[in-house]
Amino acid sequence: MLGMYPTFYVPYIGSAWVMGIIGVIHVVASHTSVGAAFLFAVLETKAYRDDQPEIMGFIKRYGVFLLVFSYIIGSITGPGIWYAITVASPRGVSGLIHNFVWVWAAEWVYFTVEVIGVYALVYLIGKVDRLTHLKLTWSFALASWATMLLIVGILSFMMWPGNEGWYLTGSTNDAFYNINFFAHLGVRTGSMFVMAAVVGFMVAAGIKDEDLKRGVIRVIAPIGLLGGLFSVMMFLYYLQTLPTNAKVMLQAYLIPAYANTMIGIFVATTAYLVFVWWKPHRLKLYIAVPMFLAIAVLGVWPEERMRESMRKPYVAGQYIYSNQVIARDVPGKSIRGEVDLIAEKGLLKLHPFIPDRLREVTDDNRLEVGELLAKIACANCHALEPGAPLRSIPDKLYGSPDKDMIAAFLRGPLKHGAAPYMPRIDLPDQEVDAIAAYLASVNAGTLEKSAASHTSAPITALIEREGK
Amino acid sequence: MDIGTVMNVMRDPAGIPAHPELFRILMIVTWVFHIAFVTLTLGAASLAIYAFWRRDTGPYWTRLSIAMTKVAKVGVSLLIVLGVAPLLFTQVIYDPQWYASNVLSAGWAIGFIFTLIIAYCLWFAFYFSNKEGAKRHIGIFAVIALLLFLLDGLIMHALSYQALLPGQWMDWYAPDGVVDTRGAYLHAIQWPRYFFIISLSVPAIGLYLLAYDDYLKSRPDLPEGYLGFVRPLGRKLGASGSLFALILFVWWQFDNPSDSNLIVQPGGWAVGAALLVLWFEVTFFADKLHGYLLLCGGLVVLLLLAIWREVVRATYLSAYGYSIVDQKINADWPSLALFFLTLAGVGGLVGGFYLSLLYRAGRVQGVYQADRSIAAMGTGAVAVLAVWIAVFFLYGIAIFIENTFAY
Ligand code: HEC
Ligand code: HEM
Repeated sequence: MLGMYPTFYVPYIGSAWVMGIIGVIHVVASHTSVGAAFLFAVLETKAYRDDQPEIMGFIKRYGVFLLVFSYIIGSITGPGIWYAITVASPRGVSGLIHNFVWVWAAEWVYFTVEVIGVYALVYLIGKVDRLTHLKLTWSFALASWATMLLIVGILSFMMWPGNEGWYLTGSTNDAFYNINFFAHLGVRTGSMFVMAAVVGFMVAAGIKDEDLKRGVIRVIAPIGLLGGLFSVMMFLYYLQTLPTNAKVMLQAYLIPAYANTMIGIFVATTAYLVFVWWKPHRLKLYIAVPMFLAIAVLGVWPEERMRESMRKPYVAGQYIYSNQVIARDVPGKSIRGEVDLIAEKGLLKLHPFIPDRLREVTDDNRLEVGELLAKIACANCHALEPGAPLRSIPDKLYGSPDKDMIAAFLRGPLKHGAAPYMPRIDLPDQEVDAIAAYLASVNAGTLEKSAASHTSAPITALIEREGK
Repeated sequence: MDIGTVMNVMRDPAGIPAHPELFRILMIVTWVFHIAFVTLTLGAASLAIYAFWRRDTGPYWTRLSIAMTKVAKVGVSLLIVLGVAPLLFTQVIYDPQWYASNVLSAGWAIGFIFTLIIAYCLWFAFYFSNKEGAKRHIGIFAVIALLLFLLDGLIMHALSYQALLPGQWMDWYAPDGVVDTRGAYLHAIQWPRYFFIISLSVPAIGLYLLAYDDYLKSRPDLPEGYLGFVRPLGRKLGASGSLFALILFVWWQFDNPSDSNLIVQPGGWAVGAALLVLWFEVTFFADKLHGYLLLCGGLVVLLLLAIWREVVRATYLSAYGYSIVDQKINADWPSLALFFLTLAGVGGLVGGFYLSLLYRAGRVQGVYQADRSIAAMGTGAVAVLAVWIAVFFLYGIAIFIENTFAY
C-alpha cells in the first residue's frame, strides 16, 4: 500500500490555478511589505538626518495603507497558499514540512515579530522619540527581509536541490542552500523594491504638499529602478541554475507563451519609474492605480505560473511528482521511490482511497475507474474538460476519440517517462485501458456534459450501460 | 483496507526531524496563544457591536465600542500569525489526519481563506468609520464580519474534528462507493465542543477589561468615570462567562463517545475545575487582585484546554492504533538550532523591544522618551538582526561552495 491521500479536483482550472491566484495576491502583498519596510527605513533616516519631520507623514500614510493591503491580505494569503497546496498536493506540502519545519518555525518567529512591528511602526509615529522610532523601523526592515531569506530557501528547493548532496545526507542545510537559492533570492529582493515603489507611488499620488511629494518620489523611484535592474540580472543568472526539465519547459512552452508579456511589463515599468522620477508632479492616482494593477497582475502571474510549470513534473525537490507519487529514492532519509511498484501492482491495488467496487476493472465500471485514475494520475497538472485553460488533456489529444491511440500514448511516452515535464506514469494494462477508454469517451462527446460534476460517476456508469 | 494501517503508511516517508514529544509540546503551547487571541477577538468584536448599538444609553459606550473595535482589529492579525505555529507542528506529527481532513473538505479549507479576507476587510471598514456620531448602519459591516469569523472558527473546528474520525473518511470521500472529489462538505461537527470553545470569548473579554482597567490607571487624560464603568462590566462578563462556559464544557464531556472513557479522565475535569476557580476569583476577588493576574488565570484555563484537546485526540486515534511516539526520526540539529536561537534572539530581543515600547508608550500622555534600557534594547534589536543575517549568509555560502565542489 502507498501513503496516498484522497483527491481534490477543481474542474476547468484545476487546483493549480486556485493556488496560482492565491499565490499572486500573496506575492504582491508580501513583496510590497518587505520592500516598503526598506523604503521606510531609508526615508526615515533622511527625515531624521535632515530634520524633515513631514516625511513621517508620508510614512504613516503608506504604513496604514500597508497594514490594510499587505498585512491583512498578505498574512491571510500566506497560510492560504499553504491550505491551497495542502488540498492540491498533500504529499508535496508534507514533504516540505518534514524537511523544513524548523526553518518555517524560525520564519514564524520573524513573522510574529513583524506583525507586532508593523503596528508599532505605524501607531508610534510621533508617540515615541525619533531615534527610538528609527531603530524600530530599521529592525522592522531587517526582520521583514529575514522572512524572505527563509522562505526563498524552501521555495527554491521545490525546484531542485541542484546536486546529489541532499539526497545522500537528507540534511536541511543541503536542501536549503540549494543551487538556485541565491539567484532566486536576488530576483525577489530586487523585485520587492519595484513593487514597493509602485505601491508607494499610489500613496504619494495623494500627497497635497508638492515639495514633499517630489522629495519622496525622488527617493523611491531610483530605488525601484535599481531594484528592477538587479532583479533582471539575477533572473538571467537564475535561468542558468535550472534543471533540464525546467529548461525544456521554458523553451518549448513558456518562452513562447510569456516572453512578450514579460518584456512588455519590464519596458513599461522602467518607463513608468523613469517618467515619475523625472516629473513627480505629473503622478496622479488615475495613473498610479492602473499601473499598479497592470504590473501586479501581468508581471507576477506569468512569473508564478512559470515557476510552477518549470517545476513540472515535480512538486518538491525532484523527488515528489506533482501527482503525489514519490519519484525516486532518497537514501539520506530512507525514502523509497514508488514508480516501479505502481507499474507492477497498479494504483487500484495500492491506493488506499479507492472504493472496493472500483478496485477491479469491469465492463460496467471501466469509464468510472478511468475517470478516477485520470484524476489521481493526471489532474494535478491537467484539466479533464475539453477547452479548459489548464492544459486540458482532451485538447492535448486533439479531441481524438481513438482509444487505441490514447492507450498507445500512455504505453509509450508516459510509461517510459519520455516527456521531461511529465512524470513517468507506468500503469498495468487494465488501468491504461480504463484511462484511455475514459478519455476517448470524453473526446467522443459521450461524457462531455457530466465529466466535471460530482454526479459524473454514476452517469458515466449509466451511459456505459446504455451504450451497450 | 484497515484505516489504522493506512494512517501509518500515510505518514511522511521523510520521518520527522526531532523527537515527536518536542513537536507535541510546541503544538500545545503555541495553540494556547492562538486560541487566546481567538477568544479575545471574538469577545472584543461582540462587545464592540453591542456597545455600538447602545451608544445612546450612556456616556461611555461610544468610547468602549471604539476601543474594542481596535482590540479586535489587532487581535485578528495576531490570531492569524499565532495560528501558523500550531498549524506547522500539527502537520509534523498528525500529517495523515490533518491532510485527509483538509482534502475531504477542500472547498471549505479554501473558502476559509477568502471569507477571512472579506471578514477582516469588513472589520477594517467598521473600524475606520466607528467614530463619535457614526451612522447606525455601519454596524452591519461589523455584524457580517463577526458572523464570518464565527464561520471560520467552525471550519477550523470541523477540520480538527474530522481528523479524529478516520473510520468515516472513506464514507465521506466515496458515499455508496461513488467518489466525490469536490471537497464540498463539512462532514463532521461536534457542536458542544465548538460552542464551548467559542463561549470562552465571554470570560476572555471580561478578563481583558479588568486588565485594561489596571493598565490605563496611569492615564490622567481619560474621562473620569470611564474606568469605573469598565471594571464592573469586566467583572460581570468574567463571572457569568466562566459559568456559562462551564455548562457547555460539561455538555461536551458527555457528548464524547462513552467507550472512549474520556469522561473518567481527570484531564477533562481539570478544565472544568479551572473554570470554576476562575469564576470564584472574578466573583470575589476582582477588585482585590490585579487585572494581569486574573488574565493569567484565564491562560491557565486555555492551557488545560489545549492539553485536554490533545488527550482527546490521542484517545480517539489510539483506537485505530495510531500514536505519534513511534514515528521515524531523522534528526536535523542545525535547523533545530536555527529555530531555537531565532526564537530566543529575535523573538526575545526584537519582539521584546516592540512590546515594551508599545506598552510604555501607551501608558504616557504625549511623546514617550525612551529610557536607557529601552534605548539599549532598540540598539540590540538592530544588532541582533544584523548578526543573524550575516551568519545566515556566511554559513550558507560555505555550504553552497562546499556542495558545489563535493558533488
Ligand atoms: C506533473 C504534471 C503532469 C502530470 C501528472 C501529467 N502531465 Fe501530461 N503534461 C504535463 C505538461 C507540463 C505538459 C506540457 C504541455 C503544456 O504545458 O501545455 C503535458 C503534456 C501532455 C500531453 C501532450 C503531449 C506532450 O507530450 O506534450 C498529453 C497528451 C498529456 N500530457 C497527457 C497526460 C496524461 C494522460 C496524464 C495522466 C496519465 C498526464 N498527462 C499527467 C504535465 C503533466
Ligand atoms: C477568525 C479566524 C479563526 C478562528 C475563529 C479560529 C478558531 C479556532 C478554533 C475554535 C479552533 C479549535 C477547534 C477545535 O478544537 O474544535 C482552532 C484551532 C486551530 N486553528 Fe484557528 N481560528 C481562526 C484562524 C486560524 C488561522 C488563520 C490559522 C492558521 C494560520 C489557524 C490555525 C489553527 C490551528 C492549527 C488549530 C488547531 C488544529 C488542530 O490541532 O487540529 N486558525 N481555531
